[in-house]
Amino acid sequence: MNLPAQNTVPRSGSAADPQGQRRQRSRNFRAKLVDRLFKNYFLFSILALCLVLAMVIFFIGKTAILTFRDVSPAEFFFSFDWTPEEERFGAALFIVNTLSLTALTMIIAVPISVGMAILIAEIAPAWLKKIIRPLLDLLVGIPSIVYGYLGLTVLLPLLREWSGEGLGDGLLAAALVLTVMILPTISRISDDAITSVPKKYRDGSYALGSTRLQTIFKVVLPSASRGIVAAVILGMTRAIGETMAVVMVIGNTPQLAKSLFASASVLTSNIVMQISNVEFESTWNYSLHMMAFLLLLISFVLILIIRFIGRKGEA
Amino acid sequence: MNWVKKLSLVAVASAVLLSTTISGSAWAKDDLKGKITVNGSTALLPLTLQAAKEFQKLHPKVKIAASGKGSVTGPQAVKKGIADIGACDWDASMDVPGFKAFEGQVANKVAVIPFATIVNKSVNVDNLTTEQLKGIYAGKITNWKEVGGSDEDIVVITRSFGSGTRVNYQAKALDGGDIVKKAKNYKEVGSSGDMKTAVATTPNSIGYIDLTYISGTDIKAVKHDGVEATVENVINGKYKIWSYGYYMTKGEPTGATKAFIEYVQSKKFQEGSLKKLKFIPISAMK
Amino acid sequence: MNGFKISRQNTRSLIWDRIATGCFYGLGAVIMLLIFWLLFTILSKGLPQISWDFLIKLPEEIDAGGGIGPMLFNSFYILALSLLISIPIGVGAGIYMAEYAPNNRFTEVLRICVESLSSVPSIVFGLLGLAIFAEYFDVGLTILGGAVSLAFLNLPMLARVTEEAVRAVPNDLRNAAYALGTTHFQAIRTVVIPVAMQAIITGICLVAGRAFGESAVIILTAGLSTSGEMWDFNLFSPGETLAVHLWYVQSEAIVEDARQIADKSAAVLVFVVLLINLVFRVPLWINNRKLKK
Repeated sequence: MNLPAQNTVPRSGSAADPQGQRRQRSRNFRAKLVDRLFKNYFLFSILALCLVLAMVIFFIGKTAILTFRDVSPAEFFFSFDWTPEEERFGAALFIVNTLSLTALTMIIAVPISVGMAILIAEIAPAWLKKIIRPLLDLLVGIPSIVYGYLGLTVLLPLLREWSGEGLGDGLLAAALVLTVMILPTISRISDDAITSVPKKYRDGSYALGSTRLQTIFKVVLPSASRGIVAAVILGMTRAIGETMAVVMVIGNTPQLAKSLFASASVLTSNIVMQISNVEFESTWNYSLHMMAFLLLLISFVLILIIRFIGRKGEA
Repeated sequence: MNWVKKLSLVAVASAVLLSTTISGSAWAKDDLKGKITVNGSTALLPLTLQAAKEFQKLHPKVKIAASGKGSVTGPQAVKKGIADIGACDWDASMDVPGFKAFEGQVANKVAVIPFATIVNKSVNVDNLTTEQLKGIYAGKITNWKEVGGSDEDIVVITRSFGSGTRVNYQAKALDGGDIVKKAKNYKEVGSSGDMKTAVATTPNSIGYIDLTYISGTDIKAVKHDGVEATVENVINGKYKIWSYGYYMTKGEPTGATKAFIEYVQSKKFQEGSLKKLKFIPISAMK
Repeated sequence: MNGFKISRQNTRSLIWDRIATGCFYGLGAVIMLLIFWLLFTILSKGLPQISWDFLIKLPEEIDAGGGIGPMLFNSFYILALSLLISIPIGVGAGIYMAEYAPNNRFTEVLRICVESLSSVPSIVFGLLGLAIFAEYFDVGLTILGGAVSLAFLNLPMLARVTEEAVRAVPNDLRNAAYALGTTHFQAIRTVVIPVAMQAIITGICLVAGRAFGESAVIILTAGLSTSGEMWDFNLFSPGETLAVHLWYVQSEAIVEDARQIADKSAAVLVFVVLLINLVFRVPLWINNRKLKK
C-alpha cells in the first residue's frame, strides 16, 4: 500500500518571509481539512449503499419471515410442489430452475462476451474499436420489454421450428434473451480491464517470442482477471435479477425444467407474475417475498463461488 | 479541479433534494384533498386514464394519478390507504373463488367488460361449448381433432392465477371449472397485450381476452355455445361471458373521489368515451 | 531471421494464432450483425413514422395519433434526478472501496454486499419505493419516488464500475503525486480520477441506458399516468416514463394504433440511449484530444 506523504515540505516562502509561511500553513491546513472531509464523504457513500441493502433486506425479510408461520422451512426449501391455490408452497423447483437458467446463460454468455472484449481491446484496429464500443453500449439501453417482445415474436417461432415443440418457451429461450442483454455489460467492463493491463507486460511477452494468442491467454487475461471476474459477476447478477424479458419467453409454468424447451418458471418470473395478484396478508405473498430474499442469498453464494474460482485462476 | 466543484455541487444538490423530500411530504399531506390515486386492474386502466384526462379538464385543481398492476392490487391498495380508488374486475366486497371479501369497501360499478375465447388463425374451429372448454383447460382434451379441428396439439395460454380476466373467465365460460397446469403446451402470460401477442404468434393456441382487444387477422374469437361474442349479444343476454368493472372505495366515496366516480358513471362519459373504448355502459344491462 | 530455425511448435503456435484471430473476428462479425439486426428491426419500424408532433403531443386513449410528450419529458426528468442522487453516492462508494478500504475480510464482505445488491430484481426496488413513499411518506405515486427508487437500482453498478476503474489506475501515478507532497484526496482528484474518467463514464453510460429503459420500478413508484401537461417540473406529479408507456401500450392499451405507438416509442427509446452515449462521450473526446496535444 502507498501512504500519502505528510504534507510538510514547504514549496514557497522561507523563514525570512513569515507572511508567506503563514499562507503556506493555512493552505496545508485547508488541504488536510478537505482531505479528511472527502475521506468521510466517501465512507458515507459506501455506508449509504449498505443502508440501501439493509433496507432491502429488512423490507423483504420482515414480510418473508412470516412465511414460516404456516409453511415449514423443510417444505419451502425441499418440496417441488408449488400450488399456492391449495396451500402447497414448495419453492425448490424455482431454486433449481434459477440455478440452471443462470448456469446456462453464463455458459453461453461468458465466452462470447469475453471474446468480444478481447477482440475490442487486443485485436481490432482503432477505427473498429470506435464503432464497436458505442454499439455495444447501445444494447444496454434497449428496454427489457423490447427484448421480451422480440423474443416472443422472433426467437420463439425460430425455436419452435427448430425443436418441433408446440410452444418453444423455456430455459433455452430465456437464456438466449438474457445472453444478449448481459453481453454488453460483461464485454464492456472486461474490455476496460483488459485495456488497463500495462503495455510493458505485452512487450515482455512478445520479446520472449510469444504469438498474440499466447500473449492474450498467458499474460493479458491473467493480469486482467480481477476486472473480468467483476464483469462476469455484474453480468450474472443482472441475469439473475432480470424479470420483464424472461417472463415473456419462459412460459411461467411452475414445474422443474426437464428439457431446454419445457415451459418453466424461475424465482424472478414467478415473483413478478404473481405478486400483483395476491393478497398482502397471505402466506402466498409472504412466500413470494421469501423467494426475493432467496434470490439475494443465491446471488451471494454464486458471487462467492465465482470469486473463489477467479482467485484460483489468478494464482 | 473543476470536477471537484461539480462533485460538491451535485452533493449539495442531492442533500437539498433529500431535505425537500422530508418537508415535501408534510406539505403534500395537507394538499391531499385534491389528489386522487387510482390503482388496480390494468384492464380498466384505459378507461381510468381517459376519464382522468376529461375530469382534470373540468377540475384543473384535482390531480389524478393512476397505476395498474393486477385486479386484487386495487382493493388492497385502498385497504392500505395508498390509493383512493381500487379498480377491480370483480366485486371485491364479496367473496370470489380464491379471494376473500374486503370488509368495509364499497363497490361502484363503472363499466361492463365482455370477454371472449380466442384462437390462433391456424385453428379451424369456430365454436366451442362450455364442456369442451372445460375439457381443454382441465387438460383432458389435448388435440384439436377432439373438438372438430385438425390433428394438432392444443397449446393452452392462460393468465396467471388471480388475474381479473381469469377469475371472470373461469366463473362464466368454464362454469367454475379449473384451469390445470400441464407439463407441455401450457403457458401463463402477465397481461392482455402479452396474451394477444402470444396467441397471435403461437400456432394451434387458445386463450381468452377482453373483447375490446380483438383486432387484426392473427387471432379470431370463437363462438361460445353457438353464440358469437359481440356487444349486442351481451346486451340482449345471449352471451354470458362478461362482468362488471368496479371502482372500490373505503366506505362511501367523498369529495373529489366521489365527484370523479360520479363523472365516470355519468351519462355523458358512459355513452361517449366509454362506448368508444368498446366497454358497455352499465345502464345497458338490465 | 537468418539462421533462426522455426521449430514445429512455433509453426503450430503461429497457425493457432491465425485461427484464433479469425475466430475472434468471426465472433465479432456475428455479434455486430446481431446488433445491427436488432437496431434495424427496432428503428426501421418506428423511426420513419416519427414526427415532431408525436414527440410533444399528449397521449390518447380513444383516437389514433396520440403522442408521447409528457412521458418523454418525464423520462429525462426522472433519469436526471436519479443520476443526480446516484452518481455522487455510487462514485463516492466506488472510490472508497478502491482507495481507502483496508485490505481485509470486512472489505471483501462489503464488496460482495454491493454485488448482491445489483442482483436485486428491479421489482423489489419498486416494492421498496412503494413502501417508503406511498406508505410511509404518504405522497402517492410521484416523480420523486420514481427517481429515488431508480437511484437505488443504479447504485451498485455505479459503485462497482467506479471501483474497477479506479483500481486500474497504475500505482506509479499515485506515487508520483504523493512524491510531490499531495494529500491522499488531492492525489485522487488530480491524478486518479482524470485517468479513470473514461471507464467511469462507460459505467455511467451503461447505468443511464439501463435506467432509461427501466419500467418495473417506475410502474410501482411513479405510476402509469402523467399530470397531462408538458413541462411539469413538480416533483409530486405522477411520472409515467417512456419505457413504462411502452409497456402500457404493449400490454393493455386499447387505442387502435397501439402497435405503432409501441414501435415508435421503442425506436425513440433506443435513439435517446444513443444520444445519451454521445452526450456523455463528447466531452471525453475533447478532453482526450487536449491531453494528446
